[in-house]
Amino acid sequence: MTKFAMNRRDFLSTTAAVTVMAGVSMPKMSFAADKVVKIGFLAPLTGAVAAWGKPGLDGCKIWADWVNADGGVKIGDDAYKVEFVAYDDEYDPSKARTGAVKLIKEDDVKFIMMLGGDPWPGASPVAEKENMLFSTLLPSDLSPDTELLVAPCEVHPIYNVTGVEWLAENKPELKTAVVCAQDDSLGKPSVATYLAAFEAAGIEVLGDPIFFDPATTDFAPIMSKMLALKPDIICLDTCYADYVHPLTEQAFQQGFKGQMISCTADFYEKMVEKTSKEFMDGFIFQFPDFDDPAMNAEHINFQKPNDFYAEYVKRYGKGEWSAVSWEYASIMDLWANAAGRAGTTEPVKVLEAMKVGGTGKQAFGEAKWWGKELFGIDNALVGQWPVVAIDKDGKARIQDFKSIPAWWDKHKDLLIKHMKALNQMYYQRS
Amino acid sequence: MTVELFFQTVVNATYAASYMALIAVGFVLIFGVMGVVNFAHGELYMAGAYTVVALYAGVGLPFFVAVAAGLVFVGLLGLLMELALFRPLRDNPLGGLIASIGFLLILQTIAVLGFGVRMKNVPPSTQEKLVLMDGAVLTYQRLYVILAAVILLTALWFFLRKSKFGWALRACAQDREAAVLQGMSINQTARLAMFIGAALAGVAGALTAPLVSPTPFMGHSVIVTAFIIIIVGGLGSLEGAVLVAILYAFVHTFVTTLYDGTLANIVGLLLMLGVLIVKPTGLFGAKERA
Repeated sequence: MTKFAMNRRDFLSTTAAVTVMAGVSMPKMSFAADKVVKIGFLAPLTGAVAAWGKPGLDGCKIWADWVNADGGVKIGDDAYKVEFVAYDDEYDPSKARTGAVKLIKEDDVKFIMMLGGDPWPGASPVAEKENMLFSTLLPSDLSPDTELLVAPCEVHPIYNVTGVEWLAENKPELKTAVVCAQDDSLGKPSVATYLAAFEAAGIEVLGDPIFFDPATTDFAPIMSKMLALKPDIICLDTCYADYVHPLTEQAFQQGFKGQMISCTADFYEKMVEKTSKEFMDGFIFQFPDFDDPAMNAEHINFQKPNDFYAEYVKRYGKGEWSAVSWEYASIMDLWANAAGRAGTTEPVKVLEAMKVGGTGKQAFGEAKWWGKELFGIDNALVGQWPVVAIDKDGKARIQDFKSIPAWWDKHKDLLIKHMKALNQMYYQRS
Repeated sequence: MTVELFFQTVVNATYAASYMALIAVGFVLIFGVMGVVNFAHGELYMAGAYTVVALYAGVGLPFFVAVAAGLVFVGLLGLLMELALFRPLRDNPLGGLIASIGFLLILQTIAVLGFGVRMKNVPPSTQEKLVLMDGAVLTYQRLYVILAAVILLTALWFFLRKSKFGWALRACAQDREAAVLQGMSINQTARLAMFIGAALAGVAGALTAPLVSPTPFMGHSVIVTAFIIIIVGGLGSLEGAVLVAILYAFVHTFVTTLYDGTLANIVGLLLMLGVLIVKPTGLFGAKERA
């Protein structure tokens, strides 16, 4: 019997031959999406504003996994897998500019999602030069000059009016408020919005709004100043999570017993842990957890919100859900739908498809493209927005969905007045 | 300003003065003895805070055990810096400064890799509070910082003035070569200064961790304030650092409360500018060194 022996060279050549043969002779595996479309994610992934960037990227990864597993996005005759390319703009305009150039020139992305705000002026010239479609979460970036910039998910800070409106309807005994915010492009338009909302609701704002330095680390003096005015309501405006937490904690420590309202309450479980369930009971903000039963209502357009939340918690942890965890994914729903209808990823065509008929499917329901009077261009998708309150068990629950356009129709003069007073109208911004 | 707001502002300022004094005195001590501007001092403060994040919020050790661990751990970090960075560069203060910037980045990166970029939640060890005159509130968590500052800085003062090691530290700070000629060990005094200076920053970070929600970049703001304090107080003056920390904290807190924080920062910088013009050595710089 001949002894079988194989040396290393024989092994390698045999393996290579088998591999080649297998590749040639096997029936070709056909993926539903052989082609790839790249989407740019240009937002703060580090630093103080990372809470409104990184969780959004995490949500996009879930969105991409689900869409790709389902065969990809159908555009024309082809199905495309979606790949996100992220760039950390650190909430810095110069880094946003570099990132925009890199994403377009090197990565060949077809659409770029941003948080917006301070970094947008850095990316804006690139968007114009390269004819690239951008999205922002902050429609205060919009102006007549930014035709390829859309705010298709949230109309920050305009939806904040819904929280105040709900408060006035449900707690009419609250008559006075104080407002504070960091002194930046996110804080100022939000302050103008809250001032308009309080005025519309017949709630008196005590003193001038307090604008604090974004470098502030000790919030005790700011809270002492607010509490000295003896308000019924403390409004934390659109403060970053790094400020909402210590401000809330200070309100608790310095003995505040009234109502708190804020645009966001990211990682609110930690605030409950640092204060108490009793103190946080009734804390109002604008961003729901997607495991909320109210998210299963018929008018909700976000796909499988409860499953999305469960998957998010499974991957990243319960305390990691933030205001933006779902928002960029929601924008992707809109983009994919528009690209599918346009039959192309070409930015201008996608934008046209997105705005057909002047309406669109925003996450919380049907919405209309709006903004001419406030931003100089109808590139913000506005409709209903949820009002959320923390309940006695320390869990955020949707209280109601309220219409932003309905409030606007009644009180737009007030909002324009306060926006003008703080130099936040599109023609006042530099 | 109401009486209640006045007393609350005094309480707020006392707390701010306490942690600033702990940080600034450590900074001055290191500069005085080593002759090095330790840019990583803010990150030592951050390291103290993250020790509490890991041991108290993470593992669940008692708060004060975690604080003590923070003190020791950051003190040991100081020893490491002395051994690895400052000793080889002892005759090159600029080199030491640049090395400390490198160490700063290393500590930040370790914090980012270990704990992520976002703020960490540290539950308060107690929610008890004192209600002082006219309704001013002082939480126990803040009271701990004030008490620690008083106790540790008093102990340091006695140590520097009543012990042989303290005399050696002061002698090295005044004239290193003369101290060596008297038989004192430069290495030993440098180690001691680095351990104490770093440990003070570490304990400040550890005690304030439940009050500030630590981030890897939290050292930035305190190092700027520490610079202002030691320049106004006089480089190398411990008493100057303590007194100016109190002065700065009161001015900053009152201006923030009455006007706003940006104006308070401007006032702080103007204070530094004014002192530098009138007395370039700082308020206490010429009189005494550590």
